[in-house]
Amino acid sequence: MRWKRTFNLLEEKHAQKQPSKRSFDVSDAANIVLFLAVFVGVWQLVFLIGIWPAYLMPSPAMIVTTIGDLIENSSLPIGIGVSLARLAAGFAISLGIGVAVGLAMVKFRGFGKTMSSFAVGLLTFPSIAWVPFAIILIGFNDFGILFVVVMASVFSVMITTYSSIRNIPPIYLRAARNMGANGFTLFRHVMIPAATPSLVLGIRQAWSFAWHALIGAEMLITTLYGLGHILSIGREFNRMEDIIATMITVFVIGIIFDRIIFRKIEERVRSRWGLDQHSE
Amino acid sequence: MIVSKYKQSSNSIILQVKEVSKAFSYANGQASKNHIVLNNVSMDIREGEFVTIVGSSGCGKSTLLNIIAGLDNPDSGIISVKGEHKTSTDPGRLVIFQEGALFPWLTVSENVEFGLKMAGIAKDKQREAANRFIDMVQLSRFADSYIYQLSGGMKQRVAIARALAMDPDILLMDEPFAALDVQIRDMLNNQLLEIHEATKKTILFVTHNINEALSLGDRVIVLSPRLGNIKREFGIGLPRPRDIGSPEITVIKRQILNALEEDFQFARRETRAETAQ
Repeated sequence: MRWKRTFNLLEEKHAQKQPSKRSFDVSDAANIVLFLAVFVGVWQLVFLIGIWPAYLMPSPAMIVTTIGDLIENSSLPIGIGVSLARLAAGFAISLGIGVAVGLAMVKFRGFGKTMSSFAVGLLTFPSIAWVPFAIILIGFNDFGILFVVVMASVFSVMITTYSSIRNIPPIYLRAARNMGANGFTLFRHVMIPAATPSLVLGIRQAWSFAWHALIGAEMLITTLYGLGHILSIGREFNRMEDIIATMITVFVIGIIFDRIIFRKIEERVRSRWGLDQHSE
Repeated sequence: MIVSKYKQSSNSIILQVKEVSKAFSYANGQASKNHIVLNNVSMDIREGEFVTIVGSSGCGKSTLLNIIAGLDNPDSGIISVKGEHKTSTDPGRLVIFQEGALFPWLTVSENVEFGLKMAGIAKDKQREAANRFIDMVQLSRFADSYIYQLSGGMKQRVAIARALAMDPDILLMDEPFAALDVQIRDMLNNQLLEIHEATKKTILFVTHNINEALSLGDRVIVLSPRLGNIKREFGIGLPRPRDIGSPEITVIKRQILNALEEDFQFARRETRAETAQ
């Protein structure tokens, strides 16, 4: 069976060259399908037992219809669009301010120390608690919502930037300075890439803070559009189908960003930086 | 007895270390103590020379190398290269670290090009130099690999190529092969000798391994942690590759071991006295 051995060797070689995991795994997919089937099954069962009337506890099929309706009358697409636009704007502002302040914290030691204890304190501060402040200061408008989103995520970006740069292995900086890098070139070609794996992790977390805050703020600071607004209107008019349909949408958007987009970026960075060698 | 009768190289002095001292303070209980690592160390290195510095851990050999590289400042004393007083680091004195100094976000050839990029050299010239030195350390097949895809020995060869590409006056090697297993280390030592032969680079090589020091150096300098200074110096006028078991080498090795043993005994007495206090 000589050919077989050769084949195995070839395969081994291939595996060495491409250590990143296969992007699609059959058993993973089967698990997800099974989980969803059980979840929908239990839900359907609760519906059939009839503890709650159908308008309080709609069936899975009713929700599918509702999602269809909400897409058709474009309230869901508009809601998604408006919410994502707010998220993008708020998160961009957070990144801008957070990275800038984080860098200043690295540059000025005393400021860094004080600011980091302050920012760490604010990390535990519930973002919803900014809402009354935002309403009175800014009002019931998009800027009020943006303010809450920024406050929820900017400190996380700040801390991440600060700690990622401070935790760069000193040997990279020594080697780079020895080879003639300094000032901006050192920053651009060594500090930024060296800090990237940890920056990506922190930014993923900051994104999730921003997302939580956005939906909360949209529910409390009522404007005309947004996923949080649909939830809030749904409660106002007792429309459970709308509420559940929107909850599912919020869940799916979270999954798409966190599990798919951010995880892909993170995996790519980790494998390139050689941080995944042992987890194979 | 073979004592310091190394062939006095007629080349000019390229690196001068003049009365360099360095102390570290550390906390011992409440008191802050001063530990003198280097005490008035002086040495001259000639162009093209391969000098090895050997000593037990804590004798200040890495500190000395970092000071020569300009990555650490001495408390007093002067480093001069080609008669020019140096106070900061520059690519003329390149360090090859023990491990982990390659950039994982760059490929092998991008790593080798890094210093040239910092020096603002044209892209095609960078590529050219990188290819040449990657070829010299026999890693052409891996030019586009990332660092995590290489073994420990290959990584150190990339580090050597990266240093050579910048054409430094002096290569400073800080126990570059200490983390590798014995066979790989011997192989890399031989490759380093070939590179030294081919490029005639001045090399200052720090190690705690006596065999390594003896098989590589034109000159072996023994540092003593007790003196914080050079304890002895041996010229090895033997052709390479050297047989580490040969009588000439064995005699020198015995003397180095004795010198290190004296320090060891001394250190033990000192620790005992300290604990008795």
